[in-house]
Amino acid sequence: MKKNWLRLATLAMVCVASFTSVGTPAVAQEFPVAERSLKNGMKVLVQSDHSIPNVALYIFYRIGSRNERPGTTGISHFFEHMMFNGAKKYGPGELDKVMEANGGSNNAYTSQNVTVYQDWFPRSAMPLIFDIEADRIQNLSFDPQKIESERGVVASERRSSVDNDNGGLLDEQLWATAFIAHPYQWPVVGWMSDIERWTIDDLKHHFAMGYSPSNATMIVVGDVTPEEIFQLCEKTIEPIPSHAPPPPVTTVEPPQLGERRLVVHKPAELPLLMIAYHVPQTNHPDFYATNILRTILFQGESSRMYQRLVDKDQIALDVSSQVEPAFDPTIAIIVAQPKQAVDPGKCEKAIYEELDRVKVSTISDEELEKAKNIRLMEFYHQVRTINGRANTIGTYEVFDGDYKKLFEAAKNYAAVTKEDVQRVAKTYFGANNRTVATLLPENEEKAKP
Amino acid sequence: MSTLKKCSFLLILLVLIFPTALFAQSIHIPPHEKVVFKNGLTVLLLEKHGVPIVNFAALVKTGAAGDPAGEEGLASITAQLLRKGTQKRTAQQFAADSDFTGGSVEADASADFSSVSGEFLNKDLARGLDLFSDALLHPIFPQSEVDKLLAQSLDGVRAAKDEARSVLGTYYNAYLFNGNGYGRTSDGDEISLTKIHRDAIVRFYETYYAPGNIILAVAGDFQAADMKKKLEEVFGGWPSKPVTPVKIPVLPPVKSKKLLLVDKPDATQTYFAIGNVATAAGDPDRVAIRLVNTIFGGRFTSLLNEALRVESGLTYGAISAFDPRKAPGPFGIYSYTKNESTAQAIDMALQVLQKLHKQGITAEELASAKSYIKGQFPPSIETSKQLAQIIAINEFYGLDDREINDLEARLDAVTPAIAQQTIQKHFPTDNLVFTLIGKRSEVAAGVQKYAEKQDARVISEPGFWPPPTQE
Repeated sequence: MKKNWLRLATLAMVCVASFTSVGTPAVAQEFPVAERSLKNGMKVLVQSDHSIPNVALYIFYRIGSRNERPGTTGISHFFEHMMFNGAKKYGPGELDKVMEANGGSNNAYTSQNVTVYQDWFPRSAMPLIFDIEADRIQNLSFDPQKIESERGVVASERRSSVDNDNGGLLDEQLWATAFIAHPYQWPVVGWMSDIERWTIDDLKHHFAMGYSPSNATMIVVGDVTPEEIFQLCEKTIEPIPSHAPPPPVTTVEPPQLGERRLVVHKPAELPLLMIAYHVPQTNHPDFYATNILRTILFQGESSRMYQRLVDKDQIALDVSSQVEPAFDPTIAIIVAQPKQAVDPGKCEKAIYEELDRVKVSTISDEELEKAKNIRLMEFYHQVRTINGRANTIGTYEVFDGDYKKLFEAAKNYAAVTKEDVQRVAKTYFGANNRTVATLLPENEEKAKP
Repeated sequence: MSTLKKCSFLLILLVLIFPTALFAQSIHIPPHEKVVFKNGLTVLLLEKHGVPIVNFAALVKTGAAGDPAGEEGLASITAQLLRKGTQKRTAQQFAADSDFTGGSVEADASADFSSVSGEFLNKDLARGLDLFSDALLHPIFPQSEVDKLLAQSLDGVRAAKDEARSVLGTYYNAYLFNGNGYGRTSDGDEISLTKIHRDAIVRFYETYYAPGNIILAVAGDFQAADMKKKLEEVFGGWPSKPVTPVKIPVLPPVKSKKLLLVDKPDATQTYFAIGNVATAAGDPDRVAIRLVNTIFGGRFTSLLNEALRVESGLTYGAISAFDPRKAPGPFGIYSYTKNESTAQAIDMALQVLQKLHKQGITAEELASAKSYIKGQFPPSIETSKQLAQIIAINEFYGLDDREINDLEARLDAVTPAIAQQTIQKHFPTDNLVFTLIGKRSEVAAGVQKYAEKQDARVISEPGFWPPPTQE
């Protein structure tokens, strides 16, 4: 739903690739992107596509839960909600009303790394959208009454996505255990006790810290020309003064020296298993080989893990893996849904055996080619809509430092060898580097002390 | 688009004379072609170039409504097994061949129809068509795969019950239709899935998977003439056979109040649905219904979301939705809130509904909703996957391209008076069905007041509604 926090912010980083499949020349499409750096430091990227009379506009702010402190966890996400609750020209509730009355809609998401605002609208609403965005970037208001009602909304969001969701609950515990020093250890939505206590000053501090135009990148894709967008930016966005960006996150997570384990007991029909391994940040050269490894292991019903756990051993309903885009070293998470009454330890053992198999002998040529074909299809899934393209261009620009890396992904995936895949498996997917989280069902009687 | 709104009188005159030319600059679906093969297979072809993908969407005109009583889930299981073993591929080979292309073949069933879809890069079209047609034409339903899928589906139902929001709709529909018609779950439940056997699956396939009972839509990066030839080669020889359509019971709205509380002892939040039986697909009032529902509960600034979220902070979201099908489907208000505010949130939702009936909607709200639907529509027909599905479903429900091409004009034709009639006719008033999933010990007392008839279940008990009879 709307204005949501999203830990698994986007598949863009794992999906974007254009490359050669064996024997065929590179076929992935390139599309021209116009760029302009405004005088206040905001970068604007524009891609024209006139196939539908609509526009997708994304603004990425380089601020997320990694920029927070204990006591005010979740403030980035709460602030994201407040960005819809009134500024100088468009007061509380007006932003959404005006936008929808002009055919537009909006949303936003917050991750550990970024806060992203999204507008989708017909071409005719373009000047209005820029007016709204400029208004809230420079003149956001903090109405105490709105803060209180929005606190309730965020608490409800947390109850839905964490407290009443076994996957969300276990995921939160996993991050909190895998990281002991770095801010990735606390949840994007925030701990409930922090949600209950944020103050208006916390919000003002967050705004001052993260919302300088120089800390943002705008991407516009759709029925527009670069010239008209740049003109609108000059008029509405460029006059907004810049200030210092958020202080750098200096804490480095120390290497993990041995396996960590945690258990959650709660009433449930089925157990749940998550295993995390520390892996490098998104712009690291091993990103591509790690993605190829994860594709071979987890993607599709012919993948090694599906074949082993779901098809052959029949101990799991589903097995998958996730890595979210990250500025700092992060974790790759394996999620297995054991069948009812199956000991999650059985799934764990099968997963380790399959990981070991990749480490002992290299993958086949066919598997490597399959993985590259899957990545190619995902590239098209990402870029076939104006919305997907805006998110993809923005994600590359922000996490890889240059949107053009999107067009180099082809080359980078093609360069991955079987030996690279084996090397990343050995380097990152070892016992000492993992955190294992298990949810064990407990019936009501037992749960009572 | 704005021109159309201002010139609606002129528009109506012109539509009669030049229906297609007028909308050239407006919302329109790309031209497509319909062919009916000699064996009765309906084929729809829509070229869309730019992205090198081809999408197939086969719609089998029989869905879960064809499940025999007590074997709910049969249509869905049958569909999912299509790619789990064919005359020339084991399930594993099928997955390997499909994954190798980066493409996919997927299948499932809803109440009204079963669907099989395929997606491939155009460079892999030959292999893709071979896989897609193999699943449709030559499944063999190996016993081992039947057993595997049934066991997985059983656990799938249990896993869904661990998350209240994922089963709220299933409980609500079951209770609303009292386990009849659309009240039967298309995914099956913990009991029905144990009653499904291979012979019933084979019978379902042989009865309903026939060319005359299928609409095949193909959209994407291909040449129509060439595609038609290829499809003729692959599907032209599929022998025709008569299919008796499954009768979907037409159930009237519930004429009283009733409330089902499903106990989930660990819940800290109550998930609720409120509504009644509403309209069928193709209802002549459908555009007006869509407009009014957009205002009532279909967008962020809807009356419901404004009240329950924006003004009061009781919830992360409140929506309302119609689900029109062959026969009248459900209408529901859906939201959730913490245990303590359960009655407060439900009271508020009911007040918003009453207010809709009493005060109607303003001209300003109506204009806003028209702009909103028009402005948000184009991205829903942006990809070949969306287009293949839309043309197949429209064909199934007996609708045509005017659903899209005339949308703006039809929206503009809805006046405040028509909106008012729509509210009275299609939005329930006093007779309401309530379904709640929450912590019984904390919320039961507060929700007694909504209906004299109160029913209860525990989420871990097998099935949805009605409770299974003791054997």
